Amino acid sequence: MAEKTNTLNSRKLPIAQLISCGDISCELLVDPIPRPAPEPITVRLKPKQSRVVLIDHHKPNSMTILKLTQTILRQRGVEVNDQILVKDDASRPMTAAMLNSLSQEGGLVLCGISD
Amino acid sequence: MAYETLQDIENCMDNGWSDGLPVIPPYGSLVDEMLSAMGWQATDVIGEIADQNIIVRAEKAAATAVMAGCKTQYGPLLRSLSKALLDPKFNLGGVEVTTGGAAVLVIVSGPIVEQLGFEHSANALGPNNRANATVGRFAQMMRHFCGSGGGVLTPHGTVGHPGRLSYCIAEHPATEWGPYHTQYGLPATASAVSIMSAEGPNSCNNHYGETGASILDTIGDCMNHYGQTAWYYRSGGFVVVIPPDHMALVKEQFSREQAAQYIYDNARRQTDDLIKAGRIAKDPTSYAEVEEHSLRSPLKSLDQLSFIECGAEGGRFSAVIPRWVGSQQVVCMAIEDV
Repeated sequence: MAEKTNTLNSRKLPIAQLISCGDISCELLVDPIPRPAPEPITVRLKPKQSRVVLIDHHKPNSMTILKLTQTILRQRGVEVNDQILVKDDASRPMTAAMLNSLSQEGGLVLCGISD
Repeated sequence: MAYETLQDIENCMDNGWSDGLPVIPPYGSLVDEMLSAMGWQATDVIGEIADQNIIVRAEKAAATAVMAGCKTQYGPLLRSLSKALLDPKFNLGGVEVTTGGAAVLVIVSGPIVEQLGFEHSANALGPNNRANATVGRFAQMMRHFCGSGGGVLTPHGTVGHPGRLSYCIAEHPATEWGPYHTQYGLPATASAVSIMSAEGPNSCNNHYGETGASILDTIGDCMNHYGQTAWYYRSGGFVVVIPPDHMALVKEQFSREQAAQYIYDNARRQTDDLIKAGRIAKDPTSYAEVEEHSLRSPLKSLDQLSFIECGAEGGRFSAVIPRWVGSQQVVCMAIEDV
């Protein structure tokens, strides 16, 4: 069976500067892409602590699936927080306060689960 | 064309400065002309995407307009369109990354349609015409360039649609029910650009109906199929496109407000069938307002429905454009002289 590849993972970031050179001189092209400042947060893929924090992102059945997830993980001996946090709007990023709070979390944060 | 220019086009495409199609390289001299046409200085702040820590300066919009192939004559329109795209109500970042695969639908209405040479008749939803194609492309490129966190965020559209390359509709300069923008509070004499996030258009064919009601029933049925995204949230709404042959029947029976009311009252499905078909969440949110054993409209309220008059004579088609559920607002802006 052919191996499945994910082109998204191999996507490179847009370059910040391009130069056009003719026979005599060069000029900078105007970068059309605004960049974040400060740079975006980085995500640690391996949690520091063996604990799971669940977030309902407010899409259909998210809470139902997360409650089941909580039960199954606990049956398997995984520590899961009692409280399932709720993000109010699936179509918008979480609030800065929520993001700041979660950035201090040493466990695995699981968000974006729905049908 | 000089070899260097072709090389510059390739460099743009190879380095992420493209929507997938070849672009006009954003040379400084061209961007300066576009800035002047848009009435801005290069460093003017024209918007902010706070969620992504991004401030957008005018030179980004001007460079994008050049790259999309826009004429400088479009400058005043592009100025209003840029402001609309960066209005926080529009949720540009959400439109870029959603699994819903939405695009920015641009609607141009008023005298500017003829002044700039927009096609509003044949193939109105996808004409091979520079104004429609490049203004629509500009909006999608702004979505892609400004909504992706500097290229950090990945678009997650499940299937998307061709409108993510260009999606611009111009309305007939003379309308039966008044210009499109009058539905959003602007005067009939204005020129305007309106944007919303939207799925692709669904064609509604009715060649043998003899009344306006039969046409609206066909349109309502198109809004009512099981696959409509609207069923669980009902937060997006629809744009109904009515060309002249269908309008000739509809206008005999309905005003615009009456047509909206008719569709709202009659285009409904049994909620229990929707549940059985898996179109309602097992644990619906209160916002979804699910009432079992009742007829359900895909519209939460009448103001979610708008009408645009465009398209050619000689065919009895209309179209329904479902809007994306995550960006509920239409942003409508007057186009002023620069």
